[in-house]
Amino acid sequence: MAAKQAIQVGTKIVKPVLSTNHAEARLRVLSLYKAWYRQIPYIVKEFDIPKSENQCREKLKELFMTNKDVTDIRVIDLLVIKGQMELQESVNMWKQKGHIMAYFKPTEEPKPKGFLSKFFNSNE
Amino acid sequence: MLSSLRTGIKGLWRVPARSLQTSSVLQHDSLFVHRDTPEDNVNTPFEFSEANKKRIDALLAIYPEGHKRGAMIPILDLAQRQNGGWLPLSAMHKVAEILNLPRMRVYEVATFYTMFIRRPVGKYHLQVCTTTPCWLRGSDAILKAIVEDTKCEVGGNSPCGKFSVSEVECLGACVNAPMLQVNDDYYEDLTVEDTKEIIAKFKKDEKPVPGPRSGRYASEPLGGLTSLTEPPTGPGFGVQDCFKA
Amino acid sequence: MLRQPLCRALALSSPARAVPLASRSYSNPVPAEPEKVEVFINDKPVYVAPGTTVLQAAAQVGVEIPRFCYHERLAVAGNCRMCLVEVERSPKPVAACAMPVMKGMRVKTDSDLTRKAREGVMEFLLVNHPLDCPICDQGGECDLQDQSMAFGSDRSRFTDVHFSGKRAVEDKDIGPLIKTIMTRCIHCTRCIRFASEVAGVDDFGTTGRGTDMQVGTYVEKMLLSELSGNVIDLCPVGALTSKPYSFAARPWETRRIDSVDVLDPLGSNIVVTTRTNEVLRILPRTNEEINEEWLSDKSRFACDGLKRQRLVTPMMTDSRGNLMPVDWEDAIVAAARALRDCPPNKLLAVAGDMADAESLVALKDLVNRLGSENTCTEQYFPLDGAGIDLRSSYLCNTKIANVEDADFVLLIGTNVRFEAPLLNARIRKAYVHKDTDVALIGPKVDLTYDYMHVGDSASVVKISPRGPEGSALLAYTQELACKLQDKLQDKEWKVLNVLQRTASQVAALDLGYQPGVGKALQDGPKVVYLLGADSGVVSRDQLPKDAFVIYQGHHGDAGAAMADVVLPGAAYTEKRATFVNAEGRAQQTLVAVAPPGMAREDWKIIRALSEVIGERLPYDNLDEVRDRLSEISPALVAYGDVQENNYFAQARALAQSLQKPVSGKLDVQLKHLEDFFMTDTISRASPTMAKCIQAVLKQKDSPY
Repeated sequence: MAAKQAIQVGTKIVKPVLSTNHAEARLRVLSLYKAWYRQIPYIVKEFDIPKSENQCREKLKELFMTNKDVTDIRVIDLLVIKGQMELQESVNMWKQKGHIMAYFKPTEEPKPKGFLSKFFNSNE
Repeated sequence: MLSSLRTGIKGLWRVPARSLQTSSVLQHDSLFVHRDTPEDNVNTPFEFSEANKKRIDALLAIYPEGHKRGAMIPILDLAQRQNGGWLPLSAMHKVAEILNLPRMRVYEVATFYTMFIRRPVGKYHLQVCTTTPCWLRGSDAILKAIVEDTKCEVGGNSPCGKFSVSEVECLGACVNAPMLQVNDDYYEDLTVEDTKEIIAKFKKDEKPVPGPRSGRYASEPLGGLTSLTEPPTGPGFGVQDCFKA
Repeated sequence: MLRQPLCRALALSSPARAVPLASRSYSNPVPAEPEKVEVFINDKPVYVAPGTTVLQAAAQVGVEIPRFCYHERLAVAGNCRMCLVEVERSPKPVAACAMPVMKGMRVKTDSDLTRKAREGVMEFLLVNHPLDCPICDQGGECDLQDQSMAFGSDRSRFTDVHFSGKRAVEDKDIGPLIKTIMTRCIHCTRCIRFASEVAGVDDFGTTGRGTDMQVGTYVEKMLLSELSGNVIDLCPVGALTSKPYSFAARPWETRRIDSVDVLDPLGSNIVVTTRTNEVLRILPRTNEEINEEWLSDKSRFACDGLKRQRLVTPMMTDSRGNLMPVDWEDAIVAAARALRDCPPNKLLAVAGDMADAESLVALKDLVNRLGSENTCTEQYFPLDGAGIDLRSSYLCNTKIANVEDADFVLLIGTNVRFEAPLLNARIRKAYVHKDTDVALIGPKVDLTYDYMHVGDSASVVKISPRGPEGSALLAYTQELACKLQDKLQDKEWKVLNVLQRTASQVAALDLGYQPGVGKALQDGPKVVYLLGADSGVVSRDQLPKDAFVIYQGHHGDAGAAMADVVLPGAAYTEKRATFVNAEGRAQQTLVAVAPPGMAREDWKIIRALSEVIGERLPYDNLDEVRDRLSEISPALVAYGDVQENNYFAQARALAQSLQKPVSGKLDVQLKHLEDFFMTDTISRASPTMAKCIQAVLKQKDSPY
């Protein structure tokens, strides 16, 4: 019984989310990137954020690059879908200024790590 | 204008102090904590006399080893008698020392019994019974006479220092009411005149004869016996013949 | 008033007491178990030993009978009448606390008659009890309040406000610790019994009779006892309350944290009551094996010293030699530089009275990594012979609770009353209830019970640890103890007990600290690290001129005053830390409040220092420190347990060569009550303790 299950799991065909191969997924990522890239001037203008277009482009690239090592096609697809949802929210002004600014995380300071810096910086 | 006049008049009628809820003090006439006084403090000299020391040894001999504290009340009584009718703090300390007890244990006993008096009293301590039988027979008048004659307050000492007067509960001489106890003696069947005479004698340091003033010997009926008048019968009275030896 | 085995007090002068040693066989004959009797509590059968009271029998089946005067650790008084219960075929209700059970007795604790009796008693008690709960400090933890809610009537028949009113009693002044409002007293006499039986101070009693009866001292007198604070806990009403804590807080506003006391070597269990990051008061926590439910006055009332004289920021001496506040970085770097540049043999670390095991192990590891072996404690203990290698040589091997079973106690060079008040209470308990005989070698002191005074010269004994001849004395003591042990029938019984005087000493010795600083000081250390060492055994005069002193601790006292760098640590209420008591029982304190200002937990300071020096200690959190502790000795982290000690014979063998003739006199530091109140940094900073000393000195001048 257990052996049967193991065989089933091993030979299970993965159902694609959207893309069937890596090239297709790559295309989706690039088109999402382009869509965001073209939207940036409008975002800067409409949300009236204190960032220049260039800064936004850098941030866009940075956010895409954080996932550069993802190889699983299904994961890439899901990330693309999430990206599209966010884009839609931005385009339709469902987001507010704070949501856009949250990409920049201006107030977050790194927590002290390591015994010494914790000792000196916090009241522990 | 009118209202201010009214309050002014009201103000005249009002008692000067604010009326506070007070209650009468119902309390024993002696204190149950010690207060240092010139007469009674820890340095009041007290030492048992040689005669009393012998008595103490005899008293202690009555009690077995480990139960010597049983002698506390008799020894306190000795101390009180030696000290003129009252028990200074230093005497209690002396008793504690003799019995090898914490002082507190002696204080407890001395404050519990009302016959241990912990304030200086005069040479003659007049104790007037004012419990119901004596009161019915006129103890109020006796007490008034005593207070007037000796110039003491109840529970206080006379200005001459010779007398102290206290109002006490039943002293167990109800058949001879009203009565007065002076130190160890009972004066019974008193009238106001009797009382005045007794006090006058004490003022001259004479000792009136203790006992009933009505001419009775003890507590028999005033007009002679009404029963048991014949001489008592001897042993074997009324016994069946067969039991007579 | 003969309500307790005080007839013993009378028997003291008896000749039988003078020769206690002669005809004693030191054995424990086990009496045959008497047959148990069956009684019925609310128709529930229970088997109890004959002589058990109804109240105790009811407690066995989980039925609690209300009481005011009854207390498990005091003699039975039977005068509050609150414990009245109905017993079948008894004409009237009986007082459960004083009534021994009889065979087949049927007790009803919830019948109509019982409830009526309780209600009546409650009404009588409340007739003369003021209704001042809103301004009473006992409010919220008052037995009378609770029980009148549970058992009292819901309406009052008290109308006598116009005639005699309620009884009023004047307040007594019995010292700076206990506030008395005697009008609230319900005459349960618990305080009197405690003072006379446990504390051994017969100053309390009842004076007067009837409605005029009052509890007090008759003459104005302070309650001269080191255990007086316990009457506050005993008082079921608000007649005796804590003076320092008066009007401070209500019990439901406070947080209670279980902890352990470190002001004496016994490690009494305590509850720290806090509010708004402030220790309000300290109460005892029941631990049958250590403190029962008592606590010494110093442990209870010195907690206001935790708020005063505290070190709240790191400090360094400036160019003019004054200590100035600095940042942690600066202080740590300065300390680290001094430690790193110090030649290893010129480095000395000294641990004080209240150092916890975690900081002790961290400091020792650090000093060892720097190449030095000079870690010492302030208290001296002989090192020769078995020294501190065998645990049995420096612990209370009998354990505190077993002192009650002793037939004979020999005290050598100790005033146990002030060095460990609750151990003394145990000895007194044995003395009162078990006819234990006590002998003392050392200066004559008041121990609250009678003892045979054998003299104060060490040669009388040829035994006892302290001073230059300490080793020989300890050797003789071990010899004596072993000889006595050989004669015992009970081979499990430990004879030798050593009472350490501080809370840190046992853990320090377990970790391998050397007791006493004498030798290390003679070497002229260049850098001295004081871990809460304030008792003055290390002073500037003994150190070379250029010595660099680092002080780590929580109070600005002798140690901080002579330091070049001050690192503020946490007091015992502010850290989770391990302490080992005199019997070798590891216990931990918990964090009740945060350390004040920039103060940090002690082991963390040493850990941070080690990293800056470049000798990083391999632990980052408390669990890892404790792992390190358990590597050294598992006993250090076996919380609540005491390990059995052995190797007495080996210790004796090692010590045999040291049995040199001894002379000299034995002395103790704490002779009188006024010496007891201030012995460490916390109690020295406590205003309450200062008031106590004033009051004791005043009382000593008073003629009473």
